[in-house]
Amino acid sequence: MTALAARGICKSFGRRQVLTGLDLEVAAGEMVAVVGENGTGKTTLLRILAGDLRPDTGSVTIGGRPGYCPQTVVLDEALTVDQHVRYFQAAYGLGGTGRAGELIERLGYASCRGQRAGTLSGGTRQKLSLTLALMHDPPILLLDEPYQGFDWQTYLAFWELTGELRDRGTATVVISHLVFEQERFDRICHLTGGRIQEEVGSHAPAA
Amino acid sequence: MRQQLDTAIRLSLVAQVRNRFAWILLVAFVPVWYLVIGSMISHTGVAFMLRATGTALVVDGHNLTLITAGLSSITLITGFVVFATVRRSRSFDRRLVLSGYRPSALIAAKTGGALVQAVAIGAYAAIIMLFFWRPAGVWAIAVTFMLAAATYAALGLLIGVLVRGDLEGFFLIIMVSMLDTFLENPVDNPLANKLILEFFPSYGPTQFAAAGAFHHQALMSMAAVSLAWTAAFALLGLVVLRLRMPRPARVAGPARSTTVEPPRPAGVPPLQSRRVGPPQVPDQGETPPAVATSPVRAAAPAGVTPPAGPPRS
Repeated sequence: MTALAARGICKSFGRRQVLTGLDLEVAAGEMVAVVGENGTGKTTLLRILAGDLRPDTGSVTIGGRPGYCPQTVVLDEALTVDQHVRYFQAAYGLGGTGRAGELIERLGYASCRGQRAGTLSGGTRQKLSLTLALMHDPPILLLDEPYQGFDWQTYLAFWELTGELRDRGTATVVISHLVFEQERFDRICHLTGGRIQEEVGSHAPAA
Repeated sequence: MRQQLDTAIRLSLVAQVRNRFAWILLVAFVPVWYLVIGSMISHTGVAFMLRATGTALVVDGHNLTLITAGLSSITLITGFVVFATVRRSRSFDRRLVLSGYRPSALIAAKTGGALVQAVAIGAYAAIIMLFFWRPAGVWAIAVTFMLAAATYAALGLLIGVLVRGDLEGFFLIIMVSMLDTFLENPVDNPLANKLILEFFPSYGPTQFAAAGAFHHQALMSMAAVSLAWTAAFALLGLVVLRLRMPRPARVAGPARSTTVEPPRPAGVPPLQSRRVGPPQVPDQGETPPAVATSPVRAAAPAGVTPPAGPPRS
């Protein structure tokens, strides 16, 4: 079952064409990496998939509200961890914050729940950003350089979490300029010249 | 919607209350400003024109200057507080909207928060003024300060959504406030009774305060003029704010779909697609940076601190 389908995505900034008719399809439970050089449009692509940016042309179909973790950690510096959770509980229309609490425990920053975002370390801010993206158990995850600033334990916890989500049918798209541990992904898509030029992986569709 | 509105109002007020610099300005700047300005101006009579009624008054220059000094300080502080709040939360609001928050709930919370601040700051400045002067029409001073604070809260919102940098925004607020409130005072500006000053945001509040404090009269038309400035600034600011928020398609069923058609020649039938909203206004810095290398390799990820041993689980 297709969780995400992007067809013929074009996006330009002024005269500069960043995406030139890009197609991407991700199945439920599939973990896909999109890699490419700096400036090839990876973040632009993810913003379009998340609905944060409109393509000039093309279509995006997503099976439900995605969990979106932008490249730059976007938080309100004046609010505490728990207050962020309450804000996103209201955004997602959740009845409780049990799942968020579980994620906070697993990512190892429960002691910071009463701390303001502005006083958190870079790694903890990234953990909070990830928690906000995951707390509604989304059908598809859109992650832009998601493990920047993580310590090793958190890095492993991140893969454990995404692995569990994959088993439950969550599709995951990870954007990165470098991909490590390629075996963790079902497919690795190279973004060059504004399109997916090459796909590597067991489930890669024919080019 | 109700849960979103309640949460947004509560948490936006919490965030605003934690603006320490605004508290310092409020607690220190307002009384010091009264003290400094008040000590420099003598109690001599000054001609002041109540243009709304055509009445020429001779008022105490010191007391009139305290009113314009109060206006000057609260317009600066309110403009700054709301501008800083809007600027700080711009990206965060986008993320909330992408996660399902209704823009209308966020906008209503911002508007309500700005009004609460305007009323609180106006009332505070009026109370502090009592340490320097106890006018008979103190209620008029309090209303004036609240009206002016509301106008500059709306201006702070407008500048916050229009201006790209913090420095430009602060500079604009300072310049507009200083010019506006300075020009209305005949002690500072001999031309203060000229017609052109009717077209400044502080005209209504200054007239309202002078009529209430020196002439025991409530000039409701001047309050209405001030509210009109507030409404105009707020409307413009909120429209721009709404236009700049992302417009993800509603997730009503299991899937959302956004399609944008390419331009097609005349006579060619359209594709089977659905248009969703107008184009986004891209933020500054959207254009990605240029050129670097990206090999696919297996090693410790950048930004992740590996343990001393081999990097593997």
